[in-house]
Amino acid sequence: MTDALLRAENLSLHFPQSQGFLKPKLLLRAVDGVSFALQQGETLGLVGESGCGKSSLGKALLNLHHPTSGTVAFEGRDITGLSAAQMRPLRRDMQMVFQDPFESLNSRHTVATILEEPLIIHRLGGSSWRRRRVNELLELVGLPASALGKYPHEFSGGQRQRIGIARAIALEPKLLICDEAVSALDVSVQAQILNLLLDIQQRLSLAMLFISHDISVVKHMSDRIAVMYLGELVEIGDARSLCERPAHPYTRALLSAVPQLASPTLPQAALSGDMPSPMAMPEGCRFAGRCPHQRAECLTQPPRLEKRHDGREIACHFWREIPDDLP
Amino acid sequence: MNLLRNPVAQKRWQRFKQSRRGYISAWLLLVLTTLSFGAELLANHRPLLVSYQGELYFPTFGAQHSGKDFGLDIDYEPNYRELQAQFRDADEGNWVLMPPIPYGPLENDLIAGDFPPHAPSLTTRHYLGTDTSGRDVLARLIYGFRTAMLFSLVLLVFNYAIGVAIGCMMGYLGGAFDLFFQRIIEIWSNVPFLYVIMIVASIITPGFWTLLFIMAFFGWTAMTWYMRTATYKEASRDYVMAARALGASGSRIVFRHILPNSVSTLITFVPFSVASGITALTALDYLGFGLPAPTPSWGELLKQGTENMESLWLVGSVVVAMTLILMLVAYVGEAIRDAYDPRKFSFYE
Repeated sequence: MTDALLRAENLSLHFPQSQGFLKPKLLLRAVDGVSFALQQGETLGLVGESGCGKSSLGKALLNLHHPTSGTVAFEGRDITGLSAAQMRPLRRDMQMVFQDPFESLNSRHTVATILEEPLIIHRLGGSSWRRRRVNELLELVGLPASALGKYPHEFSGGQRQRIGIARAIALEPKLLICDEAVSALDVSVQAQILNLLLDIQQRLSLAMLFISHDISVVKHMSDRIAVMYLGELVEIGDARSLCERPAHPYTRALLSAVPQLASPTLPQAALSGDMPSPMAMPEGCRFAGRCPHQRAECLTQPPRLEKRHDGREIACHFWREIPDDLP
Repeated sequence: MNLLRNPVAQKRWQRFKQSRRGYISAWLLLVLTTLSFGAELLANHRPLLVSYQGELYFPTFGAQHSGKDFGLDIDYEPNYRELQAQFRDADEGNWVLMPPIPYGPLENDLIAGDFPPHAPSLTTRHYLGTDTSGRDVLARLIYGFRTAMLFSLVLLVFNYAIGVAIGCMMGYLGGAFDLFFQRIIEIWSNVPFLYVIMIVASIITPGFWTLLFIMAFFGWTAMTWYMRTATYKEASRDYVMAARALGASGSRIVFRHILPNSVSTLITFVPFSVASGITALTALDYLGFGLPAPTPSWGELLKQGTENMESLWLVGSVVVAMTLILMLVAYVGEAIRDAYDPRKFSFYE
């Protein structure tokens, strides 16, 4: 399988936390041994609670944080450990939409400057071509041409996120990482932005890693879904089947937390307790402390991702025993 | 001017103008400084204009005129104040237009039958009197102001250039570089620079530039802390991350993104730096380690004033001038600080 656009192999991102002079440093394991592949044109949804390392994973994939160990291969080429200058040509093909549209745009630049910047950095075209391209981009994300001379603070959150998206697709990337791209927006605006992203994805046929804490949003967007818990992937599989028949207890809990209008299909399996600290990981299964199916083995043996017959991968010792058909 | 078209900058400018005291002070300061840069036209022993036998002369500029040019039997430069009086008495259509203060800053005007310092007088046109060598106090105040202003502005440029560059690098590069320079700056800022200046002054006579270099050499450290913090703060924000994701180079990130966003830190400190520059130069001159002897300076005038307390016009005029200027600078600083106060306005609206 060398045809994957992006492949992460045992990727880890640890942040040493200084406790003060001469004290031992704690290790914050934001991402711990994550492996997955993303095909050309595919959308992979990445869900998990806040703090589980989704955003760190997204940034590590783009080499914005340097991974502690493991590899990221883009189009078969290992990009871990590349310097900023070596990364530059690759940046054209992999872009990111950020969570907070208030923070991710420089408040001192006009929209025209913001959208032109990627073109200038990669030395594309002359100034008149760039101006045309900026206009095209604005049209693509549904903003009027009058927006060009304005500053980010003159726009609403949704419009600002459109600017962020326009900047990310300015270079026509092959991969777009959307890091909680809609979670800072109103629900009504979320739908617009999601549809815009789907539209753009089809037009440019790009692969997307869609990071969100909201599994209903991810379900709407993705071909496949990866569920993350405390820096590890606990389940990956086809989006529809994963949502209908979740195998991992954590995925079930996530799905059961989604408010349902029609008859509640999932039993309320609300989780008790909080996520353990990523600086003091439990020894066995990281989810064991909150798992309703916990057994003795779970506390000592960490489970690995196992592949089921239908391609679903699950990291749980007892997935065979937990009935995956929902009552 | 992209920086001024920015709505945030415009709002700040509006708020700066709303602080009337600061706004007026800024204008006054600007006018005074501009005037002082044309000090030769305000206080000079050479006239602005001489009309002699139908011809016009501009003795302020160009080569020195000898007395022969104006029908006097001397080869050296005439005393234009006396020439003015002679022309007026002769009434032959010749005239001399003197500046408002008809004395240069280095000129000793020794009035017969009186020892300097001479008291202020309208008839001798020493409006603030003379100092102990018979030099006009007002002229020396004006030229001294120019020197002090020029000194503190150039010092500011030097301090900011070095301080901002190093502070920005500390904040942007972080790590070992940051740690190393933190320690260097801590040590550096504890070197008593007054002693260094005394030592240097005992070896050579420090001129304008020597003093400036010594002071910049020890003065740049103050800015680094603020710049370092501002850079750290900005560098961790998402828009910088976005620029990195686009593949922007380090210098592009610093110059296009971080510096324009930290400019508020820089501007807020400008008035205080100017004030401290003026005070420092005056203090050095007062102690006698400053600019060499005949240079007009406030510190030197202050020293004369404190030594001749019975001639109150000396200490009086320099103290008033000093207070006025520092007050204006402080008001401007206050207005700028208010204009940049994030509590009144934020990026988030």
